[in-house]
Amino acid sequence: MGLPLFSASDDPGPSFFHFAQSAGLTSPTSSGTALSPHATTVIAVRYDEGVVMVGDRQATGNYIASRDVRKIEPADRFTALAISGTAARGIEFIRMAQLSFEHYEKMTDTALSLEGKANYLSPIIQRNNLTSPLLVLPLLAGWDSSHQTGRIFEYDGAGGCYERLDFATIGSGTPFAENTLRLGFSAGLDRDAALTLGALAIYEAGDNDPSTGGPDFVRNIFPMMVTISSEGFQELANEDVGERFRVINERRTQSGGVAGGSLR
Amino acid sequence: MSNYFYVAPEQLIRDRAEFAQKGIARGRSIVGAIYETGVVMVAENPSASLFKISEVYDRIAFAGVGKYNEFDRLREAGIRWADGTGFTYSRGDVDARALANYYAQHLGDMFTEGQKPLEVEILVAQLGNRIRPTKLYRIAYEGTISDEPRFAVLGGDAETIKARFAASEDSLEPLTTTLKNAVAALAGPDRTIDVGDLEVGILEDRGDRRTFLRLHDDQVSELLR
Repeated sequence: MGLPLFSASDDPGPSFFHFAQSAGLTSPTSSGTALSPHATTVIAVRYDEGVVMVGDRQATGNYIASRDVRKIEPADRFTALAISGTAARGIEFIRMAQLSFEHYEKMTDTALSLEGKANYLSPIIQRNNLTSPLLVLPLLAGWDSSHQTGRIFEYDGAGGCYERLDFATIGSGTPFAENTLRLGFSAGLDRDAALTLGALAIYEAGDNDPSTGGPDFVRNIFPMMVTISSEGFQELANEDVGERFRVINERRTQSGGVAGGSLR
Repeated sequence: MSNYFYVAPEQLIRDRAEFAQKGIARGRSIVGAIYETGVVMVAENPSASLFKISEVYDRIAFAGVGKYNEFDRLREAGIRWADGTGFTYSRGDVDARALANYYAQHLGDMFTEGQKPLEVEILVAQLGNRIRPTKLYRIAYEGTISDEPRFAVLGGDAETIKARFAASEDSLEPLTTTLKNAVAALAGPDRTIDVGDLEVGILEDRGDRRTFLRLHDDQVSELLR
């Protein structure tokens, strides 16, 4: 690639996506029907000082393609991005988002607002999903420093962006995870309660959806758990996550696999 | 009916060089220097929002003197080139030398073929790691690229400032010493520069992927104490 210089009238501005399109760096749109590994469950729950995100680790094609996929990534220090849908497009999407936010910051010397980031992703999702069968549906959560609160944004297949004030789920395990969150959520949860509820939602999804991986005590692989708060993006240590799932698993074992009449 | 006058190529080049030098000399200068653990760039810049020094990539920074609109466009092109290259290959493949060469080619083309030469001088700095060296590339208005071993001065009064800085520092020093020397060299013996009129950026490993840091006025005052 040569030095990308533009005249003022066709300059793509601080948007990396628009620059990448003009330079031919984005994936071509396609109309094929190939499906690469997909299916997932990721949830986001708001708590009093931020957002908790929990995501399973399994990539599923006709059989299990991978057991240790990271479906939640920091898009920047205060923003997390999770993906569901086609893995290949999801990974490209995360790279595009990470680079776009950083690119904007370098070009303008100001960070994009959280709402600005959420809106920026809409046309990228729309372009992918309306021109290709390789769908991708992300979930964005972040710490909004100007409003001093955690915020969650979800998207529909056409790129529509919707803010959720309580919680959101994406992926094939959504019905099970969402029901758990619906029953267990209340406004102003603290961090620990939100983590417990999030873990339970993913446990339920893994228990009922064949395409969502639950805790894997044999390989010591557990769902990813992260918090996004004024401290930024923080991922819980594997031992900590393992312990939380071990507690749920113990209870379930004692009650013979049922929740036992209460949400626990 | 129009008349064509012959202009000797030597004359043409001289005129263009003179034009560019005049434009560059109107602005204030910049010092870029390697210190013990990084690279510092110091500019005299009364504006707190129109920057001369900028982050380009994880370990690459840019500084420009001369006409703001001209070097700012080069800065933007550099960021686009770096982000595009890193996206296509990998972050580790983004190299300051390649970027400096593109700048040199573009400035050279504009000098010989453009309506007018660009009235800018730019500096591309790279913080080294295991596979790449710490480097300062200075690119002049006519496309001359030079690989400066320890420090570079851009702008109108470059030779005088260069002599002052070279006299004060002969080995790698800590940031605070190099910054003091750079500010003293920019100011000269007869005046002092207010901290508010200094723009300072560094490239230094702090455990993050991105190594560029713009220093605030209070951080600069602290270092200059």
